[in-house]
Amino acid sequence: MKHMQRAELDSLLTHVAQSYRLLVPQRLEDGTRLLRPWGEGELVLSGEPVQRKPTEYFLPQLDPLLKIDTAGGVQLATVPETPLCLFGLNRADLQCLGFVDRFCAFPPQDDAYAVKRQNGLLIGLTGYCGPDGQLLPLTDGRCDIELIALADGWLAQAFTDIGSALLAEFNDIDPETLGTIRSLSEKRIAEERATLEQAARIVQQELVPDDFWREIGDRCILCSGCNLVCPTCTCFCVQDRTDQGGTERSRVWDSCQFDGFMREASGHNPLGSEALRTRRRIHHKLAADVERWGEISCFLCGRCDKTCPTGIGIQAVAAEIVKRFSTN
Amino acid sequence: MKPTLTVCPYCGTGCMFHLLRDESGRLSGVEPSGAHPVSRGQLCVKGWNAHAFVAHPDRLTTPLIRRNGRLEAAGWDEALELVHRRLRQLADDHGSDSLMFLSSAKVSNEENYLLMKLARAGFGTNNVDHCARLCHSSTVTGLVETLGSGAMTNSIGCFDQTDLVLVIGSNTTEQHPLIGSRILQAVQNGTRLIVADSRKIRLSRHADLHLRQRNGSDVALLNGIIRQIIEEGLEDRAFIETRTENYPALKAAVEPYTPQRTAELTGLDAEQIIAAARMFAQADKAMLVYAMGITQHSHGVDNVRAVSNLALLTCNLGRPGTGVNPLRGQNNVQGACDMGALPDVYSGYQKVADPAMRTKFSNAWGVPLPSSPGLMSTHAIDAAVAGTLKGFFILGENPLLSDANQAHVRQALENLEFMVTVDIFMTETCELADVVLPASCYAEKDGTFTSTERRVQRGRTAVDPPGEARTDWQILTHLLRRCGLPAAYADPGQIMEEIAALTPSYGGISYQRLDLDGLCWPCPDSSHPGTPILHQQQCTRGKGHFSPVSYKPAKEEPDAEYPLLFSTGRTYFHWHTGSMTRRSHLLDREERRAFAELNPQDAERLGIGDRQTIRISSRRGTIEVSAEITERVPPGQVFAPFHFAEGAANVLTNNALDPESGIPEFKVCAVRVEAL
Ligand code: SF4
Ligand code: SF4
Ligand code: SF4
Repeated sequence: MKHMQRAELDSLLTHVAQSYRLLVPQRLEDGTRLLRPWGEGELVLSGEPVQRKPTEYFLPQLDPLLKIDTAGGVQLATVPETPLCLFGLNRADLQCLGFVDRFCAFPPQDDAYAVKRQNGLLIGLTGYCGPDGQLLPLTDGRCDIELIALADGWLAQAFTDIGSALLAEFNDIDPETLGTIRSLSEKRIAEERATLEQAARIVQQELVPDDFWREIGDRCILCSGCNLVCPTCTCFCVQDRTDQGGTERSRVWDSCQFDGFMREASGHNPLGSEALRTRRRIHHKLAADVERWGEISCFLCGRCDKTCPTGIGIQAVAAEIVKRFSTN
Repeated sequence: MKPTLTVCPYCGTGCMFHLLRDESGRLSGVEPSGAHPVSRGQLCVKGWNAHAFVAHPDRLTTPLIRRNGRLEAAGWDEALELVHRRLRQLADDHGSDSLMFLSSAKVSNEENYLLMKLARAGFGTNNVDHCARLCHSSTVTGLVETLGSGAMTNSIGCFDQTDLVLVIGSNTTEQHPLIGSRILQAVQNGTRLIVADSRKIRLSRHADLHLRQRNGSDVALLNGIIRQIIEEGLEDRAFIETRTENYPALKAAVEPYTPQRTAELTGLDAEQIIAAARMFAQADKAMLVYAMGITQHSHGVDNVRAVSNLALLTCNLGRPGTGVNPLRGQNNVQGACDMGALPDVYSGYQKVADPAMRTKFSNAWGVPLPSSPGLMSTHAIDAAVAGTLKGFFILGENPLLSDANQAHVRQALENLEFMVTVDIFMTETCELADVVLPASCYAEKDGTFTSTERRVQRGRTAVDPPGEARTDWQILTHLLRRCGLPAAYADPGQIMEEIAALTPSYGGISYQRLDLDGLCWPCPDSSHPGTPILHQQQCTRGKGHFSPVSYKPAKEEPDAEYPLLFSTGRTYFHWHTGSMTRRSHLLDREERRAFAELNPQDAERLGIGDRQTIRISSRRGTIEVSAEITERVPPGQVFAPFHFAEGAANVLTNNALDPESGIPEFKVCAVRVEAL
């Protein structure tokens, strides 16, 4: 465990920026908190989570994949030579990234993701740096370095060799300094996840009637935001665009809330109603992924509840499920 | 990833988002503004995909001039010289009023202002209009008469504070999605909802009352509700006494609209009308929300008057959570009206017929100005058919698909001696032009846009225009100079300075002040905080004026030959004539083909199956589209969106116009449907 003050934190980031394209939390003019290039604006070390999902940098909303020129030659999208470092992600975002890393690495590997993600560096930021200085729970280690904000600076711990090397020059400190943060964190996480996990059990046991999904589906205005902002959503569709120079193929973020997502060429749609699609959105995270990957693929990053214009993000729906269908 | 904060180019809700640019400089996505009071980190599907059409390979990149019948690439100087010379020649030969200038609710306030200046000061004609003629001209006419201001009276935030919302003729969750979602949220929190719409729109699933009145019978419905409120003594007498005028005339005019009579005219049950009247009148704060279902009729202005009467009767004006709330469609249709892209007013609704106003603008622009109001766009089409109108300058509009009765519009445009279009894609209208000038889209320019709640906001440049395309304000500036007018604007901010100096309601608006959330007009001076709610102490015109109206049937109703009622509108995924959304991959995928909604009863009778191709005919033409068999439309009614050139709903529509506002009757005509 290391300890640093602001000047040391800056020197760590300056050092990282020599070998990485470093993105750090900043505030845009309208108050939106986003990751932006280090050095281009003021570093904002506390507040609500960064708004854009962290997977954007490896699987962007529009992701050019290849270009076919008029002679038939194929050119793959070029990848920046400098690897990326994302600084300032919280526990949930790092968990989401970890989830997607595993998903994309599973054979056959998602090459377009892998080339952008490879050699990247993740630096988490937790501790007392939430909105109004609230405690952000500690990470579960899915990053290279975790910085933990305290009243008088930051504790730093490394989870990878690269992380350890980067921290080598900083002062060691007794891990006891962490005090009660770990237990407080665990308590917070357990509380936050209790409803979601209970809802997951109810969904897994098929205790939610179709009428419920119809009722929630009736409130969906099909903005697709819940999927687009979700760091563990990775579905995309393929766009081809042809001009005089040839054809470019890209992938673009898609949403399972759309009718066109599953519609067959015949026009038939196995997920042909909003009720079915809403069920799928929730069921996928709370049941299907649990079966496939052994964990709920929602880490409560909070984005879908904030972006859903009609209040049916996953936490709202989970709370409603528990309220209505809990058997205990 | 570089973000640029800007205004959504689609509906009038006025969401703001960041356009994201990737390392290679191309637009790669959209992120909603987290703190903006309307967006609040949210967008609808069109907003989330607003980057998608910008770099489309179909973008126009060079000026085109028609030579030997074909549009061919040309230089800017040559094209602008030709435009100026031909328009000037027509004005010299046939008079200035042989020209028509069509502005656009998609371009900025500054650009609308420059276009109306070009028409009036540059070419000496008040023949300037824009597509508000087709959407809310009835509102502007009706509400100016009754309240003194033709805009949404309240603000979007009011939906969080109201007790009841009456939505009449607005498919809010699809056409103003982030207002529709506020209504849905309000309903979750206990707000009551009455939906008056013949179609089962999404909001109707959440309504306490869904009134499916026959299209075209809104005056009867509203008069019936008003009569019932008076009958039961539920009107607000104190408000009527102190804040309104002409109440006795209203009372007399609604007398014949008993629940039974209203039921006959609307196709509803008498009980529904009584229930609606009670529910509405009992709410302390009620918001009236309407859109094209009210305005697009040959009696659209009467419909608006009836809505206004109901608000005045119940004191639902000038307070938070109340108001007459016409939802403006395009992202800058409010601004295009505010800027005077209308035949009878300069910016700020200052009348051209008023000598004092004329002198003011004439002094500012340094040229004498014409005094008689110009042609409405719909009348200009008629004048072109008649041959009295010779030249058409069209900025960012596609009348061949958007106006009623396509054959008539085509005849008009083909009849012109000279037509120039300024656009971002080769639209159906551009195909007929003599000169096509490539413009910039919203993402490629600075400028302000005024949302439905009168919020003036800044759009900002995220990327350069493609090829040689130029911003519309630069194109217009060049033409103004060719007309001998000083137009040395370094940037749109300077144009806004001129607008503010000449326009009282925008007097306090400047780029510095607008910075993030914008300002709601009226904002008369530089220290004024803006006006989210109009008519608070008194109406803009003084007393609220009751304007009695009586029911008139649509100009063409179903009959033996054409037995079905046809109405048009839009779908959630597409925008107007589709030039942008049909080039946005996801939006296009969601709805790829022209279709029409048909009730299962009619479908069965006609032997039509889902997705089968059908032929729809009216007295004006025939289209072939795919059938969507759905309970959304009532029996006897067919609905089709007007987005699709290959099955253009406006081939069928009736260009019968409201005598006052000149709006066509898009919502009612008679058709016949056959299986193919
Ligand atoms: S909170 Fe919503 S957006 Fe975040 S991980 Fe869970 S489902 Fe995805
Ligand atoms: S964010 Fe809400 S309204 Fe939008 S698609 Fe998802 S559930 Fe539907
Ligand atoms: S609601 Fe309107 S302004 Fe907002 S994102 Fe959708 S189209 Fe754009």
